[in-house]
Amino acid sequence: MRRLPMPFGPLALTFLAPVVFAVGSIATGVDDEPEEAEKEKTEIENYFFAVTGGDIYAAGGEVLRGATLLAKNGKITHIGYDVEIPGTDYFQDMPEEDRDFVTETLDATGLRVYPGLVAISSSSLMGTSSDFADAADPFSQNLVLALASGITSTGASRNVVKLKRYVEHDPPRDFDFGGILMGEGTYASLSWSGRSPTGKASLREKMTSASAYLRVYRKWEKDVKKDKDLKEPSKKGVDSTVLAVLKGEVHARFSADDREDLLGIARLAQEFGFRPVIAGCREGWTVADELGRAGAMAIITPRTRRDKNENLVRPGGASIENAAILHAAGIPIVIKTQSGGINLGGIAGRDIMHLPVEAGFAVRGGLSEEAALDAITIEPARMMGVGHRVGSLAVGKDCDLIVTDGDVLHYQTFVQYAIVDGELVYDKEQELFFAHIRPRAKVEVAPEEKIDAGENLEEDGEEEEDAGGDEGDGDEGEDPEEGDAEGGEEGEDPEEGDAEGEEEGEDPEEGDGEGEEEGEDPEEGDGEGEEEGDGA
Amino acid sequence: MISNTLLPLLGLMAGADPAPVVADILAIKVGRAETISHGTIEHAVILIEGGRIVMIGEDLPIDRGIEVLDRDPEWTAMPGLVNCYSRIGLDSKGGNDSRPMQMASGELYPASKAYGEVLEAGVTTLGLYPPGNGIPGQCVVVRPLGETAEEMILADGAYLKILARSSASSKKMIRKGFEEADEYAEKEEKAREKWEKAKEKWEKAKKKKKDDDDDEDDDEDEKKTFDPYSPPDRDDEATAFQALRDGELSALISITDSASYLHFLDAIGEEEFSWDLRVPITRELNIFHLAQKIGATGRRVVMEPTMSMHPNTMRQRNLPAELVEAGAQLVLIPRSDSVTNHKAWLRHTGELVALGLPREAALRAMTQAPAELLGMGEALGSLDADKAANLIFLNGDPLEPGTKIEAVMLDGRFVSEEVSR
Repeated sequence: MRRLPMPFGPLALTFLAPVVFAVGSIATGVDDEPEEAEKEKTEIENYFFAVTGGDIYAAGGEVLRGATLLAKNGKITHIGYDVEIPGTDYFQDMPEEDRDFVTETLDATGLRVYPGLVAISSSSLMGTSSDFADAADPFSQNLVLALASGITSTGASRNVVKLKRYVEHDPPRDFDFGGILMGEGTYASLSWSGRSPTGKASLREKMTSASAYLRVYRKWEKDVKKDKDLKEPSKKGVDSTVLAVLKGEVHARFSADDREDLLGIARLAQEFGFRPVIAGCREGWTVADELGRAGAMAIITPRTRRDKNENLVRPGGASIENAAILHAAGIPIVIKTQSGGINLGGIAGRDIMHLPVEAGFAVRGGLSEEAALDAITIEPARMMGVGHRVGSLAVGKDCDLIVTDGDVLHYQTFVQYAIVDGELVYDKEQELFFAHIRPRAKVEVAPEEKIDAGENLEEDGEEEEDAGGDEGDGDEGEDPEEGDAEGGEEGEDPEEGDAEGEEEGEDPEEGDGEGEEEGEDPEEGDGEGEEEGDGA
Repeated sequence: MISNTLLPLLGLMAGADPAPVVADILAIKVGRAETISHGTIEHAVILIEGGRIVMIGEDLPIDRGIEVLDRDPEWTAMPGLVNCYSRIGLDSKGGNDSRPMQMASGELYPASKAYGEVLEAGVTTLGLYPPGNGIPGQCVVVRPLGETAEEMILADGAYLKILARSSASSKKMIRKGFEEADEYAEKEEKAREKWEKAKEKWEKAKKKKKDDDDDEDDDEDEKKTFDPYSPPDRDDEATAFQALRDGELSALISITDSASYLHFLDAIGEEEFSWDLRVPITRELNIFHLAQKIGATGRRVVMEPTMSMHPNTMRQRNLPAELVEAGAQLVLIPRSDSVTNHKAWLRHTGELVALGLPREAALRAMTQAPAELLGMGEALGSLDADKAANLIFLNGDPLEPGTKIEAVMLDGRFVSEEVSR
């Protein structure tokens, strides 16, 4: 992910904005004129999608208030101010039949623009088959509900898919089933559990043989450059999954909640040099620095509730602070809901539609809003190997975004629009599900000369609270707005957080320092001693 | 114009009944005629001769000597109903694979009672499709009357039924059909080239030999002509899919929902051939998503006269009406393939009309539109001169709930009831 090094992100982006980009369009636009008599309608080559007037939550924590985002053919090309939109700011006089482009503009004034949320796992959102290219259902109701809750990409079995919905266009466009699948085989599931000592022994054995093989293999890799006749060492008896993990080709994914298991995985990871993904991680908060030092990544459900085992004299059980503590130890946090499907049968709200609410609970436990947003956007995207395409709003990435009427982590917030690959795929007012709840306020179009003054927006606020304004919304919108404003201003913090994620795993010093805060438990002291011994 | 397929039938009838031509003429006066092709005619006179409609018009003068059946104003006449998608009278065993050259005509069982019963219900033409999933084979067009299969069959190979589903195997089956046709075309071209080369060589050799042995007379081998070209054998798939490409055969694509339609389009890619859609209406069918897209193609859509629900709601949707509005050609079939539903077919369609389906489209969807789908649009389906005299006579508006069928005429003969003249 690219990040601007200076704290004046918005300014820097502004600088990029007014670049004229559609050179091709200009050329063809001019060329077409003489042919006009023959051609009835120019073939469409470029599809532009612009979101204007919203507060854009861009990559790296910058918040650009009232900015514009422009995408071309599904990829973001501009984020900033004074972005010129084809068909509006130039070429506006060109007759429609001469245009080789279509521009769709979404007015997000008073709304917020976030990257589309990324769910690390889900089930049956696009039909029940995992064969997406040949069996996906782009009309599925679950798909629409997922979009309504802000999710635009998801892990599905071992694949990463984009929630592409079929949308009718005029002129019609083909639906690209191939575009659904973004990646496959992103991790290998391994098992490490105190309940299965043989399983543990067997995994260790596999690791040992794979790592021995890898040493021979690496040597061969070097030698074969000099002597081409050297034979590749035989893979016989080497577990291919474990080998792929040690080679760093896939993430090793464990499901573990108990402290002992977590420690065991951390030791294994350090011994064999790989970064484990730990799903569950319920008691992770008790061993956060060990996990951090081992470079672990965590998939957690902040609302998990489990009392500690009273037979043990050490901290345990679930903690609402789990996410915050793990994050502070430098562990990339991914938040998932308890259920990966959509079940409208209950009001518990623990299905995948409540992904942002789940992240909100992590905030309640002390996680920064910034990190909580990352935990449902860029972190899962990175974990699944699609961080370069989705998970944040940056130039060059896919135009997958959501437009909300408030802080995405606030439980009252509704997703008003969802856009996938530069196509409007969800509009709250157009679907049966939530259109009747707090219908979207009609934003009065202010006279142009007044548009920069805050007063107009305040008037709006009086009329209809939810329409809100960028600022000065007196009543309801206050809490989430303010929270966000902070988040925006602290744009530099998350960078640190990120940097930690990358480096801290290897830095035992820092982990120690933090660990002491909860280091009353004698067992933990032990654990640390061992860790250090291993590290050295 | 009468299609070639119907001509032998008419000949057969004429042969079977060598009555004097004049006596075969019948004029029927009815209160109203739904012609389908050119609107409603009040006080219509329909002149029938030799199993065909000769003339139809309002209050036509009738020559002396022509037998007249006067049912003005109590009767309403309309073309016999055409059910283009049925398996009535057939059993139902089928596989899941691709058998595109399977003919439904092979399993016809003329003694089935069901044919008489649906005929009495006003259905004068049936399209029977072969059983099974995948690509089950080709449809046969029959009239539901006859002692033998030959008497019943009007046309064979009316359409190729293909089930398109949202699955890799289904899409593969369709793609494979066209691939086989491609492979065959390649093979055929090579074989022809080879044959041409061989022929050239043979001709050269012959000529040379002729020059050499000009004076000799004993030429045994040379007199033989070269074997004519015979194309290599081809399998069923190549045959059927090539026929689709050449326009000799059309396909009826059975889909289940919007997704399967998109997957079908994905499977055929750029391939162009004639096809129509069969969309069984289920309780929460979501085909409305694609109504515009399907409507824009102007293709026929075969459906039951049933209302459905917007998914997960209790809101009714009239999908046939939505598709008609979007520009598709609606073809209706009975709600299910039972005799009872054939009898209730007009009433069920009437219900849909009461709920917004245009009346004209509804009547067309039971007559002319299915006839066209079966490739018999010029021989059946409307009250026009030169078309087969397949008519039903009702005691009122065909789509009103209380209306009853008074008489059914198939190829110029009353079949349902003793009609007092």
